[in-house]
Amino acid sequence: MENILSVLIFFPLLAAVLGLLVDEKSIRTYGISVAAVEFLLSLWLWMAFDPNNSGFQFIEYVPLVSDFGINYYLGVDGISLFIVIMATLMTLIGIVALSIEKDLKNMIITLLFLEVAMVGVFVSLDVIVFYLFWEFSLVPMLYIIGAWGGEKRVYAAIKFFLYTFAGSLIMLVGILYIAYIYHSVSGVWSFSLTDWYALVLPLDVQKWLFWAFFLGFAIKVPMFPFHTWLPYAHGQAPTVGSVILAAVLLKMGSYGFVRFSLPLFPDASVAYIMPIAVIAIIMIIYTAMVAYAQKDMKQVIAYSSISHMGVIIIGTFAMNAEGITGSIFQMLSHGIVSGALFLLVGVIYDRRHTKLMSEFGGLASVMPKYAVIYGIMLMASVGLPLTIGFIGEYLSLAGFFAISPVMTLLAGTSIILGAVYMLSLYKKSFFGPVTNEENKKLKDLDSKELTALIPLVALVVWLGVYPKPVLVPIDNSVKALVSFMHEKAQTPAAKSIIRVSKSGKEAK
Amino acid sequence: MESLVYIALFSPLVGSLFAAMFGMSPKKQITGIVTSILLFISFLASVNLLMYVWENGPIHVKLMDWIVAGDMYIPFGFNVDQVTAVMMTVVTTVSTVVHIYSNGYMEHDKGFNRFFSYLSAFVFSMMVLVMSDNFLGLFIGWEGVGVCSWLLIGFWYHKEDVTRDVNPSISPAWAANEAFIMNRIADLGMLVGIFLIYWNVGSLQYDEVFKAVPSMSHGLLVAIGIFLFIGAMGKSAQFPLHTWLADAMEGPTPVSALIHAATMVTAGVYLVIRANPLYSEIPEVSYFIALVGTFVAIFAASMALVNRDLKRIIAYSTLSQLGYMFAAAGLGAYWVALFHLAAHAFFKALLFLGAGNVMHAMHDELDIFKMGGLKKVMRWTYIYMGVASLALCGIWPLAGFFSKDTILEVAFNEHTYIIWFVLWLTAGMTAFYSFRLVFLTFWSDERYKKYGFHPHEVQNYVLWAMLPLGILAIIFGWFKEDFVEFVIKLLPAYEMSEHTEHMVTTLTVLTMFIALGGIWVAFKMYSERLVRKEKVENSRIYKILSNQYYIPVFYERAISKPYAELSDIAWKEVDMQVVDATVDGIAHIIEDSGEASVQVQSGNLSDYLNWMAIGVILLTILAAIAAL
Repeated sequence: MENILSVLIFFPLLAAVLGLLVDEKSIRTYGISVAAVEFLLSLWLWMAFDPNNSGFQFIEYVPLVSDFGINYYLGVDGISLFIVIMATLMTLIGIVALSIEKDLKNMIITLLFLEVAMVGVFVSLDVIVFYLFWEFSLVPMLYIIGAWGGEKRVYAAIKFFLYTFAGSLIMLVGILYIAYIYHSVSGVWSFSLTDWYALVLPLDVQKWLFWAFFLGFAIKVPMFPFHTWLPYAHGQAPTVGSVILAAVLLKMGSYGFVRFSLPLFPDASVAYIMPIAVIAIIMIIYTAMVAYAQKDMKQVIAYSSISHMGVIIIGTFAMNAEGITGSIFQMLSHGIVSGALFLLVGVIYDRRHTKLMSEFGGLASVMPKYAVIYGIMLMASVGLPLTIGFIGEYLSLAGFFAISPVMTLLAGTSIILGAVYMLSLYKKSFFGPVTNEENKKLKDLDSKELTALIPLVALVVWLGVYPKPVLVPIDNSVKALVSFMHEKAQTPAAKSIIRVSKSGKEAK
Repeated sequence: MESLVYIALFSPLVGSLFAAMFGMSPKKQITGIVTSILLFISFLASVNLLMYVWENGPIHVKLMDWIVAGDMYIPFGFNVDQVTAVMMTVVTTVSTVVHIYSNGYMEHDKGFNRFFSYLSAFVFSMMVLVMSDNFLGLFIGWEGVGVCSWLLIGFWYHKEDVTRDVNPSISPAWAANEAFIMNRIADLGMLVGIFLIYWNVGSLQYDEVFKAVPSMSHGLLVAIGIFLFIGAMGKSAQFPLHTWLADAMEGPTPVSALIHAATMVTAGVYLVIRANPLYSEIPEVSYFIALVGTFVAIFAASMALVNRDLKRIIAYSTLSQLGYMFAAAGLGAYWVALFHLAAHAFFKALLFLGAGNVMHAMHDELDIFKMGGLKKVMRWTYIYMGVASLALCGIWPLAGFFSKDTILEVAFNEHTYIIWFVLWLTAGMTAFYSFRLVFLTFWSDERYKKYGFHPHEVQNYVLWAMLPLGILAIIFGWFKEDFVEFVIKLLPAYEMSEHTEHMVTTLTVLTMFIALGGIWVAFKMYSERLVRKEKVENSRIYKILSNQYYIPVFYERAISKPYAELSDIAWKEVDMQVVDATVDGIAHIIEDSGEASVQVQSGNLSDYLNWMAIGVILLTILAAIAAL
């Protein structure tokens, strides 16, 4: 299958359109089957992927608007491969766990459209195609929050849309400007990312462009102080919306930094390590505190997402293979763990129609299975070794240590503060006596919920104990990225800070 | 031999998973039996390995790769050398006894299966901690024991939070979280140490790191030494991260015996011993470690003097003995620290298990003021606890005599007379509070009758299970020569100067004198009956000691509360009122300006013409400016 990437994009699209014809009763089975096939296809992609090749694979190239250099240009490398798999997996899990009754058909079709956008973003190598998928992803999510959300859903949905859209527009200006420069240098138009990589930009141009892209990515991540749309979005979104949002959509921002900012603007990226690191540390510490102050369980997880994304950013800007590999692995880890945590919050919300921790207490004795899975995810979230959460956090911090030990120490407080808010959440909800009458007869996880959650638990343990199959392909591509950046960098500062791995040098 | 390493390591894990399968079902005796048998197998394997290492030297095995990224290469590798073999044997010995003991102790608990699952998981983590051949592997075990400790302290999670006056630990769940978070603070220090090692050595394997020590700058070694020791301070509950250990007594007593006395809390000492090639190069940091240890020894002992809680007294004594171990390790006598670690594991576990028997008999009552005269009904428990206390006090010829006395000799030998004096004084305090506990519990008047208790001895098999510890608490010290011969193949051979050799008899007599003196004072004060002196109990010093120098309250007021308040401000004032309000504010400005400019579209043609004229004028001006 040479066109596996196109298949991955167009299969859910076709299925979504055909889904309109499926009748309401069988839509659930239909949705699960489509998402399962899509997931299996993405696994096939992994099987067929050559882990020793650090470049783009499964490349597809069809000219679209040749005059402007816009092409249908796809490809994956180790960096994007696993994010694609995670996107298909979390969509599948999200659909399996769906507990809404209202307009189920619309929901499933929307999710399939969203899947198209998500896969598209991570496999596009043409910047215009990338941008189309990037913006398109907003629409299904807008609909999910706006149609199935809580009381303030319209406000939350519009805030989410306008805020991220505004950021993207500024990024678009940056995109057009690079294309303009490319044209003036080479005489032809091109939006191919690989062409752009070859473009050596002067430092002051890089700086401007860095911030233009930064706004687009930072709002998506979301980075402080652009994060306030997230608590509203999560607060109002239905469970499946939060799962996809936290697991995949936020990663579009952090992926953007790795795919665009670092290789396109290596000198500017190095120049701005410190301001970015300061923002990331604020994200880690400040949002961890805000998370601790929350009364609503879902808001704790929402703010904790921002805190964990801070670690990812720190890792990305470590400018060495340890840190960047760590940050990409942490993207996967955060996707799985926060996705699972949002599912778990959904479980209790379905039963009690409240997410306030003060309403609970003693759930461990009433719902032991729920408590166990929650506990495992909690431990993964606080980065316990041998769970998936440790590897990425450890590598990100270890990587940044080469840049600044003191800032790493500050960023490292995430392992303390993360434990503080998560353990206090767990204590408030699961420990202590069962004080609320309504909680005494809560049902434990049912088979549908277990089907959705157990694979995630298995992943958390598997990738915590044996991350190598995932880590090695990522690492190979990252090493190539880092040595590319090192070669491309013009300023001496960037040359010395971007650290090429010894093992990477030998391979060359 | 490789398979023996894996058997020793993975048997507890298999047991844990087996018990976990029944985690949610009602009590199944089989979980207790299977985990105990698997632990015994692990014990046999460890003893075998000990003998193998004795004959043939260390074994090294590599299971598989773990983290491979950049230049970071971390395998799951295990190294059984002399120190590890000793640790493994100690850990599995105590664990096996505690497992068998728990079959009786947890008999009526509805979380029986769950308990064994956690307990075996703990042993597995502890084995990973001592067996790993690199710092990050150690860190896996380090965090693993932390989680198991969290699970086991909070084992009775359903209990309610109460005020500090009622229960100084507040609740099991609270104590569990406190322990976890406090350890995490220290773990950050340890991680920083690991990062420092990685970026300067390029590897985390012990052998490569220690090989690189001579080529590293002194400042760097000092930094690594300090950060690793911060990690050690958390696990081993050294001041100022000590408060969690006493609160950890909320866990079931077998847990206190295994985790919070014999094994986990000694992990910090193990780390310092393990990193001896590093610490030997930085005497100033080592000396600091010795000072911290010495301070904690007397500081913890002082709190034990007045406490009425059976388990807390023993917990403070653990803290105090950990201080002794750090003092020894800090003074460069690594094998002495290891020797005391092993001896302490045996007699302290025995002491705790004895305390468990007493609690069992007294329906979980912990106040020794409500006990007394129990030796009549609990003969064997009395003997065990008596032996353990004598060993703890360092009375000849029990285990503690050989290990603790050597620490004092080391302090003397290093001419650190203040350390020697403080530790000597602490030995007297140890003797006093240990026998205060023994006399108030087993001798004196039978106060428990007043409170309506009907104490009884525990099951016979439980008493039998404790026997190995009882024997070891007596005889372990007799094998000092063999022990030294064995471990100094790896650790530096610490030898006393001639001057000290001359003084040994005098020093021993002095130490015995103060230990016996402490026991004698306790005997005088408490052996007949409990006489409470209002004046003493209301004195300021008594209040300070019984409130743990007000440190927990201080932490709550100075750290926990302000953090919670600050978090609340961060959310309500900053995030909502400033950050989000700004975003909405910008949106409103745009909306308002839109609303305002709507008036332009009035539908009136002459208005439009006016606007057009204004536009033309503006553009002309702009063009004129541009042209200039």
